[in-house]
Amino acid sequence: MSRNQEKNTAKKNVFVRIGATLWRWTKRMFMGASKELTEDEKLFVEKIESPGMMTVKAFFRRKLAVAALIVLVAMFMLVFIGPEFVPMDLTYTDALQANIAPNYTFLSVPDELAGNVKDISGYANFSIGVSNDKKLYIWGVTENTMTNIDMAQFPEEIADGNVAFAAAGSDHIIAITTGGKVVGWGNKNNGQYGSLKEGDDQFYIEMPKRILTGAVDYTEVQQLICGYQCSAIVMKDGTLYAWGNKNAMLSLEELTTSSKMNTNVQKVAFSNFYALVLLKDGTVTGGNSLSFMGTTAYSSTEGKITDLRAYLRGKKVVDIAATDNCYALVMEDGSIVTFGAARYGENSTPALAAGEKYVSVVAGTRHFVALTEDGTVYAWGHNDGGQTNVSGSKATKVFAGSKQTYLVNEDDEVTEKSGFRGYLFGTDNRGRDILTRIIHGGKMTMTIGAVAVIVSTIIAIIVGCISGYFGGWVDMLLMRITEICSSIPFLPFAMMLSYVIRTKPIDETTRIFIIMCILGLLSWTGLARMIRAQVLAEREKEFVIAAQSMGIKESRIAFKHILPNVASIILVNLTLDFAGCMLTESSLSYLGFGVQQPTPTWGNMLYGANNSIVIQNYWWQWVFPAIFLAIATISINIIGDALRDVLDPKSSQER
Amino acid sequence: MGKYMVKRVLYIVLVFFILSFLLFMIYNMLPIDKAAEFARNDITANKKLDYNERYQYWQEKLGTNGTKFERYLRWIGVYPYADGTYNGILQGDFGDSSKFGKPVSEVIVEPMKNTIFINIFATILALGITIPLGIFCAVKRGSKRDVAVQVGTIVGYSLPTFILAIVFIWVFAILLGWFPVSGMQTAGSLEWSDWDKFWDRMYHMALPLIVMTFTSLGGMTRFVRASMIEALNMDCVRTARAKGLREKIVIYSHAWRNALLPITTLIIGWFLGIFGGSMMVENIFALNGIGKTYYNALNGNDNEVVLALQMFYITIALFGNLLIDLAYGLVDPRVRVNK
Repeated sequence: MSRNQEKNTAKKNVFVRIGATLWRWTKRMFMGASKELTEDEKLFVEKIESPGMMTVKAFFRRKLAVAALIVLVAMFMLVFIGPEFVPMDLTYTDALQANIAPNYTFLSVPDELAGNVKDISGYANFSIGVSNDKKLYIWGVTENTMTNIDMAQFPEEIADGNVAFAAAGSDHIIAITTGGKVVGWGNKNNGQYGSLKEGDDQFYIEMPKRILTGAVDYTEVQQLICGYQCSAIVMKDGTLYAWGNKNAMLSLEELTTSSKMNTNVQKVAFSNFYALVLLKDGTVTGGNSLSFMGTTAYSSTEGKITDLRAYLRGKKVVDIAATDNCYALVMEDGSIVTFGAARYGENSTPALAAGEKYVSVVAGTRHFVALTEDGTVYAWGHNDGGQTNVSGSKATKVFAGSKQTYLVNEDDEVTEKSGFRGYLFGTDNRGRDILTRIIHGGKMTMTIGAVAVIVSTIIAIIVGCISGYFGGWVDMLLMRITEICSSIPFLPFAMMLSYVIRTKPIDETTRIFIIMCILGLLSWTGLARMIRAQVLAEREKEFVIAAQSMGIKESRIAFKHILPNVASIILVNLTLDFAGCMLTESSLSYLGFGVQQPTPTWGNMLYGANNSIVIQNYWWQWVFPAIFLAIATISINIIGDALRDVLDPKSSQER
Repeated sequence: MGKYMVKRVLYIVLVFFILSFLLFMIYNMLPIDKAAEFARNDITANKKLDYNERYQYWQEKLGTNGTKFERYLRWIGVYPYADGTYNGILQGDFGDSSKFGKPVSEVIVEPMKNTIFINIFATILALGITIPLGIFCAVKRGSKRDVAVQVGTIVGYSLPTFILAIVFIWVFAILLGWFPVSGMQTAGSLEWSDWDKFWDRMYHMALPLIVMTFTSLGGMTRFVRASMIEALNMDCVRTARAKGLREKIVIYSHAWRNALLPITTLIIGWFLGIFGGSMMVENIFALNGIGKTYYNALNGNDNEVVLALQMFYITIALFGNLLIDLAYGLVDPRVRVNK
């Protein structure tokens, strides 16, 4: 406060002074302190504005640069914080999920089904629902980009309803009409439905003649089920009809020929390869293909069971279900026994409180959902889409899609649906979510770019400063080295180095680190020359002579006195080279010489996008990574450009 | 001038040997043993042969026996093979490509022609667009059109070649169907007349050329604009204007001549860089150029081709630097290169 003001306040009344202070505080609170400054103080503040501050202000005056900065910061947040929230399993691949177009409707049960649900079925990326008034609805990804088959195009027979039963397989749907016709649609190249072409019967089993040409009494149908390229109908009298691809469903031949497996059948469950059959007497069989001999299993009440066959002897099974690789049996005593290759916790069935009993179970591809006697739902297994988040809810019926769970109450209303909603950016050719890979790949791309640019800048600073400041033979030597390095052709040499280290037995992280260093080691020469030229100009100035005359060590002068004057060049080049290194990395990865699959980077996500099929049909596989890469590099370059204009007084004068 | 040239060429030779040594050593870290492979082949063909004997034979024949340093000297051509002959780069022999079974020089002739054709064509196209555009932007600096071009060029040089190529394939080859997606010629075009063949070739080259031109637009336009702005701020330009010369003469005769110096550097540097850079385009469009050949050779462990092409790239870069220095003298009479 100026002296003048102090005098004024002293003269005034105490209350007025307190009031003024309070008013000032309030004003400060809302409007900031600078408002109350006097005219000369304002001038004073502007006078002491540092050059750094001025540069920052000049930078923020550029709208384009600020927008680019915001975009870049947002992108940084996405790729560096995002991976914490969106975990990625590097080894994950799923052929069924491959090449799915962007879609977010996996859980979008149509409104018409509300209060009207009779059945919901889903095996892969689409689910179908049958309503009580015998109409069929479909949601999820219905169009297959590879075969161009649209599952939503229902055949004529069911165009106006009349659907008694319907079940969805991986790429086909089978429905039984009220007239008893069994109709199928979707892909039929693997014997999923219809009559076979000649010679195909060595791979596929045809639909039984009775179903193919005649009709079944739909009131007599117990169960209709579809699996991966196979289907089965269980009649109430215990007859089983099964057909489909023998090589996909390894139990299929037995199902159609062995009398043990196709008479007295109560229910069938298809896993990815085998069929589990529940017979009317409460025993289960899988034929010879699915052996129970000595199988380890887990019971919800008794824990680990070392020999399943011995355990099942004399016990009755009431319900069965199968995920891709696991099977669940609901026992008569209300426990659930699970067995099979449980990779995702499919065998950790929740234990029930005393008195509670499981009565039924359904399965998705990697999760089970079970109902207890009093209508409580328990779900376990893989929870990548939140499909098991329904545990504890009440329901009268439960249905499972591949990664979805639908709970239905007594009014046939879907009360709760949980699970995987879809792929916002689609999936790649191995069924991996592109959004997840973009987030993780961005982290990798940006890290590689940053490390490479730091390595190259450090080398450039050291070489440039030493060479420019000391001159003489040091300069000569270093500049010759720079020249040699700059005449190494970048892309071919980087490819060769990357190829050489690819054959060495080192782990992926080290390899990626080496790639960062390679990029850095090959790209420092330009900046080093620039720094040298600038240092040459700076070292002739008076302050250097002053420092020398004060006896300061030469290396200290070079790095402490001269380097800060070169900082603006370094900063600008740091930014521009960052974008450059990101581009180089992605080019290398695109050619297959950078970071290798399955580790994603924005570059190697585009690897394989150079054929017309991918470019046209699977556009999301290259559009999204390309957009992210382009936006990142464009904003970095805009920022670098603005920085150059702001930091370099000469260039801003020119504008 | 002559003395300077000799000095430079000697220096280039020195650097060439340093780099070739470096490259040879790095590349020989690969666990490739052609002699063992051939020896195994011999044994499967004729069971009676002795592996060690065959291995020895092939090692001597291929010159892979001895220390790495000896092998390097053999490759260069200053150390004799087992039979006393000298057979290396200095003798003009780059070895045989194991994939094609032909001398490397024969393998790379055809791709080399293609690459040079693409590059020269792309250079001409790019220069034809960027120089007028850059001059225009510099003259109309700060105008709306200039700002638009500036933003466009930032986008242009921020995009990697392959993204641009994919987008162009998508738009021009798939959506519009104007150009083929990839390849060098239509199947069955061998019997066509030369004229038809030429047009077929141009038809296939069109999209790669457009992509290559486009990728170079951004950076080059900015560079031309910057050097032109600098030239326009020179005193001589002000004098010329004060003399009352027409604006056209001021720009093209006074300013442009001064801006030419940095631009020459850029053009030569860029023309040389494009040999490495066209690798991307050649791979995407499946053009039989040296970039594609290099890529295939690297993936197929075809050492001799890889090393020969590496040396080609290096030689181009080294002579390019010399060329830039000489061009300086040519363009700007004030620069004397024989210092």
